[in-house]
Amino acid sequence: MKVNVDKTLVASIALHVLVLGWGLVTFSSKAYIAPEESLPVDIISTDQLAKMMAGQKTGKKEEPKPKVEKIAEAKPEEDAVGKVTEKKELIKTNSTPEPPPKPVEKPVEKKPEPPKPVAEAKPKEEPKPQEKKPDPAKEDPIAELQKKLDTKKPPPKPVEQKVAAVQPQQRPKPKERSFDPAQIQRDLDKRAATRHEQTGSALNASASLGAATGTAANNVATWRGAFQGAVKRCFTPTYNGQDADQYEADIDIPMKIDGSLASEPIVVAVRGPSRSIAQAVAESAKRAIVQCQVYSFMPKQQYESWKLIPMTFGLKDML
Amino acid sequence: MNDARSITRRRFMTLTGSALAMLGGGHAFAQGQPRLRIDPTEFQPIPIAISGFVPGSPSDGDVGNGVTQVITNNLKRSGLFAPIDQAAFIERISNIDVAPQFQNWKTINAQALVTGRMTRQPDGRLKAEFRLWDVVTGQQLAGQQYFTSPEYWRRIAHIISDQIYERMTGEKGYFDSRVVFVDETGPKERRVKRLAMMDQDGANVRYLTRGSDLVLTPRFSPNSQEITYMEFGQGDPKVYLFNIETGQREIVGNFPGMTFAPRFSPDGQRVIMSLQQGGNSNLFVMDLRSRSTTRLTDTPAIDTSPSYSPDGTRICFESDRGGRSQIYVMAAGGGQAQRISFSKDDTNASYSTPVWSPKGDYIAFTRQGGGQFSIGVMKPDGSGERLLTSGFHNEGPTFSPNGRVLMFFRDPGGNGGPSLYSVDISGRNELKVPTPGFASDPAWSPLLSSTAGQ
Repeated sequence: MKVNVDKTLVASIALHVLVLGWGLVTFSSKAYIAPEESLPVDIISTDQLAKMMAGQKTGKKEEPKPKVEKIAEAKPEEDAVGKVTEKKELIKTNSTPEPPPKPVEKPVEKKPEPPKPVAEAKPKEEPKPQEKKPDPAKEDPIAELQKKLDTKKPPPKPVEQKVAAVQPQQRPKPKERSFDPAQIQRDLDKRAATRHEQTGSALNASASLGAATGTAANNVATWRGAFQGAVKRCFTPTYNGQDADQYEADIDIPMKIDGSLASEPIVVAVRGPSRSIAQAVAESAKRAIVQCQVYSFMPKQQYESWKLIPMTFGLKDML
Repeated sequence: MNDARSITRRRFMTLTGSALAMLGGGHAFAQGQPRLRIDPTEFQPIPIAISGFVPGSPSDGDVGNGVTQVITNNLKRSGLFAPIDQAAFIERISNIDVAPQFQNWKTINAQALVTGRMTRQPDGRLKAEFRLWDVVTGQQLAGQQYFTSPEYWRRIAHIISDQIYERMTGEKGYFDSRVVFVDETGPKERRVKRLAMMDQDGANVRYLTRGSDLVLTPRFSPNSQEITYMEFGQGDPKVYLFNIETGQREIVGNFPGMTFAPRFSPDGQRVIMSLQQGGNSNLFVMDLRSRSTTRLTDTPAIDTSPSYSPDGTRICFESDRGGRSQIYVMAAGGGQAQRISFSKDDTNASYSTPVWSPKGDYIAFTRQGGGQFSIGVMKPDGSGERLLTSGFHNEGPTFSPNGRVLMFFRDPGGNGGPSLYSVDISGRNELKVPTPGFASDPAWSPLLSSTAGQ
């Protein structure tokens, strides 16, 4: 007996299984501990916030090298913003109306990475002797083109400028009036034409010097407050005699990175006029620590700072 | 799969790494970092689960339930514990010799667990066993067994309560103790006042006098065997000594006038009291062995309500030598007295009935001012005054054996009568103490289990 099988159904099932199976493998979640910035939950003053977020002079420098996009002889970067005004001046002074904006656009097309407002993002440590540059040739492709037309002398230094110089000659005015959406963007991005790649001996994509998060890594104020609050919820000391302020228990808490206890809290010292009451305070504190775990809110990237939390439990505010 | 393996491996590496780092640099690390401080401001009772005491034989069910009930009631009334309702229990303890499943008790947020068993022995005695568990750490904190006559099962329950209290708080308990008070019955005009004694929780009331004569200010001796009180008999009111065991009573001293406000010294060898002399009264102390008396004050004023410090070296008392009744402290042998009661907000306030705490850290008093009677405590130097309760009429505080709780009487006015109340020295947890009728003038005994002969 032959069973009539719908081939499309079989194909559909097979495809679904394939896609789902592929998805299972490809999209399987990865236990990735995202570096999370700690969120200050305590109310703090602006001064404290500023202090918290300030960089450190003595801090570890994550990127000690300046940003370099291209391997070449190191050459200081200029301020692109300034050049826009220079360009205007140039156009004003130069009476020749001939060169249309097209030659300017072409080099832009060829550029590998057009829109990159890098200049602002760069830290100040980067060497930039901007104002002293006497090289007028690099200032503007328009000016360069004019010069080239006049002198037929290519500017000596950057590769980009060579490209800029060569290309207008290869394609002389292929201008038809046609709508090109890319054109709009290019028009908007004219300024980028004045930007040069940062050269250096080694490529380095990041502009950062120092840690990306300032002193946030050392900012224990945030987790300390949260941890204190969490343990306090479970702490039920019963003694409130007039010498309550003399009772204290020092307890070290070994922590795991997931916010649970790595081992039982260690009672380091107990103080107080009565040993039995002091002991009860310490035991009450220990119970509180164990009972109130898991402290999953603890910032994982700061684990070093709370691997072992030394605490003191006191009764000085008990009535 | 590969991913999963790499994750576990990475996790393993992290954990191992952190564990090693902890072993290596943990201590130095802890020293370099300032300690986090926690100083709770709010008081919270300890959540505790008291599982039903298992009967050792089928006939022991009632006594098991009774013991469980008394312990639960004691701990709850102390205000330091919050017994969890048995209906919330997940696990039923049937064998106390097996460690409980702590997870079941953690789930209901218990910090401690009490298990126990009551068994009638072949010789007729009752065996009581109990264990106190720290639910959070899974450790046994206490474990005891007691043998007693079956009629004393309440006493056993109080002793177990004290064990739990002491182990969890570090302070001595006060449950195994008694209160002597003046029981009042009948209409307001013809009140019958009898001396009565009961357990601190109001159970086992016994009447010590018949009520033909008016009684006032009963006080326990340090061994809880005797009571000294004032009675209006024939002639002048006198201070009497009453033996609880034998029922015998005798007049203390042979004074020509009225004697009142007696109290034992901490060693039980002396009774201190007031003797009326004309319009004044002075403090005298009588040695119970030699029957010799010593005058402690000699002022043209009313000096009364003396109370010894627990070490027996000082006395606090009330005196109106300054015009208004105030509290003074002087050496136990007499001499210069120093006033310690100074009201900050009401210069017209008067202070009376001072009682020195058995711990020595406070003096409790009745304060009258602004049309109200308040019960309060202050330090022996007069500082740190704290009023615990105020109202139409509150009077006569007495300390629990551990100095943690005060009992006093309150009269709401009108046609009603006074009742006994207890309050924590922090002012929390004010509770009415159950008595058969109206009650006044309570006096708390020392802890019975700590005194000889009981």
